[in-house]
Amino acid sequence: MKYSMSGRSRRYGSALEPYLYLLPSLVIFTLFVGIPTLGAVVLSLLSWDGYTAPKFVGLANYVQAFSDPIFWLSLWHNVVLIPYYVLLPAVLGLAPAAVVHHLKLRGSSIFRVGFFLPYIMPGVLIGVVWRWMLNPAFGPVNSLLGLVGIQPLGWLGDFNLALPSVGLIGAWATYGFCYVVFLAGLQKIPQELYEAARIDGASGWQEFLAVTLPGLRGEIAVVIAVNLINALKVFDVIWATTRGGPGRSTSVVVLYMLENAFNINRVGYGSVLGVIIAVLTLGLTLVTLRLFGESSD
Amino acid sequence: MPKRQPRLTPICLSLICFLLLISCGQQTTGPSMGGTPAASPSSPSPSASAQPSPSPTSGSQAQKNIKLVVWDTATSGVQKEIIETLAREFEKDNPGVQIEHEGYPFDELQKTLQRAITSGKGPDIAQINNGESSMGPLVRAKLLIPLTKYDKQYGWSKKFAPALLARNMYTEDGKTFGKGDLWGVSQTGELVGFYYNKKIFQQNGIQVPKTFDELEQVMQTLKDKGVTPLIFGNLDKWQAIHLYGEILGTMTNREYLDGLIYRQGNKSWDTPQIKQAAAKLQEWESKGYFIKNYAALHSDDAWKLFAAGKGAMLLQGSWLTGDIQKAMGSNAGFFAMPPRGNKTVLHVGGVGIPYGIIKTTKYPDVAAKFINFLVSDRAVQLLLENGQLPAIKVPQSYIKPNTVSGDLYKAWNKVNDENALGHYLDWATPTFYDTLTAHLQLLLAHKESPDQFAKALEADYSKFLQQEQK
Repeated sequence: MKYSMSGRSRRYGSALEPYLYLLPSLVIFTLFVGIPTLGAVVLSLLSWDGYTAPKFVGLANYVQAFSDPIFWLSLWHNVVLIPYYVLLPAVLGLAPAAVVHHLKLRGSSIFRVGFFLPYIMPGVLIGVVWRWMLNPAFGPVNSLLGLVGIQPLGWLGDFNLALPSVGLIGAWATYGFCYVVFLAGLQKIPQELYEAARIDGASGWQEFLAVTLPGLRGEIAVVIAVNLINALKVFDVIWATTRGGPGRSTSVVVLYMLENAFNINRVGYGSVLGVIIAVLTLGLTLVTLRLFGESSD
Repeated sequence: MPKRQPRLTPICLSLICFLLLISCGQQTTGPSMGGTPAASPSSPSPSASAQPSPSPTSGSQAQKNIKLVVWDTATSGVQKEIIETLAREFEKDNPGVQIEHEGYPFDELQKTLQRAITSGKGPDIAQINNGESSMGPLVRAKLLIPLTKYDKQYGWSKKFAPALLARNMYTEDGKTFGKGDLWGVSQTGELVGFYYNKKIFQQNGIQVPKTFDELEQVMQTLKDKGVTPLIFGNLDKWQAIHLYGEILGTMTNREYLDGLIYRQGNKSWDTPQIKQAAAKLQEWESKGYFIKNYAALHSDDAWKLFAAGKGAMLLQGSWLTGDIQKAMGSNAGFFAMPPRGNKTVLHVGGVGIPYGIIKTTKYPDVAAKFINFLVSDRAVQLLLENGQLPAIKVPQSYIKPNTVSGDLYKAWNKVNDENALGHYLDWATPTFYDTLTAHLQLLLAHKESPDQFAKALEADYSKFLQQEQK
C-alpha cells in the first residue's frame, strides 16, 4: 500500500503533536483553574467555618441555597444586569465601529485606545470613579443635569435607580471591548460583498443587515459570551459603589458568595454559590456559542 | 478514644525549649518576666519536670533565639510607626528578644491568619478580631492561649473599663461571648459621636446640646434656618448602624444591650426600645435633619463635606479626629450623644482589634510581656502623640482645651468613668452586619416600618441562637 508505514507513523505523529503544544497551557489550566474548581466542589459539600474541623454535609448546602431568598434575589439581579452588560455594550460598540469603518475615519486608533481604556481598568477603580461622577453633592452628572433644571438625584442610594446605575457603569466599562472586536471583524469582511450589495442597489441600512451583521457572526458570539460571563460574575463595580445596597437592591451572586465565604466564615455555603454561578456561566456560554458560533460555517 | 501518643513528643520538646528560655529569661530580665517556669498554660506535661535544669550558658544562647512574630493591621503610617517603635524599645529592654512585625490589610489578616494558624505557620502574637468574626471560632478550635493568668500578673482588668474588657472575653469552650477568659488585649479605643462646626453653631446662636431634647431642638433650629443639621453618608451602609446605635443608646440599658450582643439571657430584638429608636430615626429622616441624598453619599465624601462647612454636625468615630483637626483646626469640636433625662447613654464604640497569643508559640510569657508593653504608659504616650485614642483613660496633661481632640478625650474619659461604652450592633450574629445594614436602608427609605424592622432583626438573631444551641 502506498501509505503503509510512513503514512501511519506520520498520522500518529500528527495525532499526538497538538497535545504537546497544549501541554503548557494545560498544566497552567489544571493548576489554577481545574484544581481550584474541584476544590470548590469539594468545599461545597462541607460545613466549614475555616477554623475548626470541617463536617461533610452532602448536598445540604445546595438545598439551602435553593431555598434561600437572598440567593434568588441576587441571581435575579444578575439576570436584570444582562441587558446592561450584553446588549447595551454590543450596540454601543457596534455603532461607532460601523461608522468608523464605513467612513474610513482617520485616527481610528485613537478611538480604539480611548474606547478600550475602561475595559482594562480594574473594576474597583471604575467603581470609585463612577462613585465620584454620581456623587449626589458634587458629582458632575448631577451638575450637568442641574443645567437643564433636573434636581440632584441620589443615583446609587436610590432603591429604584441603584441597579440601573450599576448596570450603566458596567455598559460603559465593556462597550470599548465590543468596539475593538467588531472593528477587527469588520476589516475582515471582503470588500467585494459591499460592492456587490451596492450594485444591487442596497441602501446603507440594508447593506448593514445583509452584509455586516452576518459577517460579524463570530464576533457577536464572542462578545455575547464574554459579556454574559461578565454579567454573571459582576462584583467589583458593585463592591466599590453600593456594596449590594440600598437594602439588597444591588446584591448579586458573587457578592453574596464573598460575604458568605470570607466575611461570615461560611466557606461551604460560599463555595456552593460559586459552583452554581460557574455551572450557569458554563451552560449559558455553551448555548451562546452553539447559537451564534461558527460551527455551522 | 485512645490517647494520641505521637503528639506528646513535640509537646514535650517544645516544653523543654520553653523551660530553657523562661529560666534564662528570668536570669537576664529579672522578676518582671513573671510566671513560674512550669506554668505553660498550653501543655502541662509530667515529663518536663524530670528534665535537668539548663546551664546558664546554654540558656543565654537560647535566649538570643527568641523571635516573636507579630501580625496586625498596622500596614502603614502612624500605626505602623507606633508598633515598630514599641517593638524596638521592647527589644532594647529585653536583650535577646527579637520582634518581627508584619502588617496586613484587615481583610487579608483575617483570611491569612486563619489559614496560617491551622497549618502551623502562624505568628506568635496576632490581632484577633472580636466576636464571631475570629475570636469565637479560634477559641473553639483551641488555637489561642487564654490570658487570664497574665491578666492577674499585669493587672489589665484594673486598667481597662469592664465594658471594654468584656468584648475580648469568651468562655473556655468558646460558646459564650463577653464573659469567662480573656483572650486578647486591645491597644486602642473607639468612640462614635458628633463632630460640630463651631462657626455654624455660633452664627445660629446654638450651644452644644446637653440633653437629647436639646439635640433635637438644635437640629430643628438649623433646619429652619436652611442649614444642613447632620451630615452622614450611608452609601457604604455602615454609618446608619452608628446613627441608629447612638439613638438606641439613649433608650436602652446595659443589661439588655450586653445581653443582645453577647447573646446571654435569651434577649430579643423585637422589643419596644428597638422600635422606638427605629421610629426616632425615621422621624429625623422625615423632618429633613440629614444631608440631602445621604443614602447616595459615601462616608469618605460625607466627612469631607462636613470639613468643607456644608453642614453643622457629622456623626462619625474617634478615628477621624486627626483628619478633622487637620482640615478644620480650631473650628471643629466634638460631643458625645447627650442623654435623655438622667439616663446614661451607651455610646457606640469599641476597642481596637485585640492582640492575642497564638497557641503554637514557644514563648507565651514573653509574648504576654510584649502585649503588656503595647498598653504601657509609654505606649499610651506614643498613641496620644500620634492622634490615636488609647483603650484607657487619657491623662489630663494630654487634654488641650478647645481642640477637637481635647473634646474627644474628655468625652472618652467620661465614657470610661461611667463604664458607658455600648456596642457596634452588628456584632450580634455573624450575619447581622448584612441584615442590619439592609434593613436600616429600608427603614430610612420608609420602605419598612419600625415593627417590620425589629422583626427582621429578631429573625436573624433567633435563627443564629438556634444554630448555636445545636
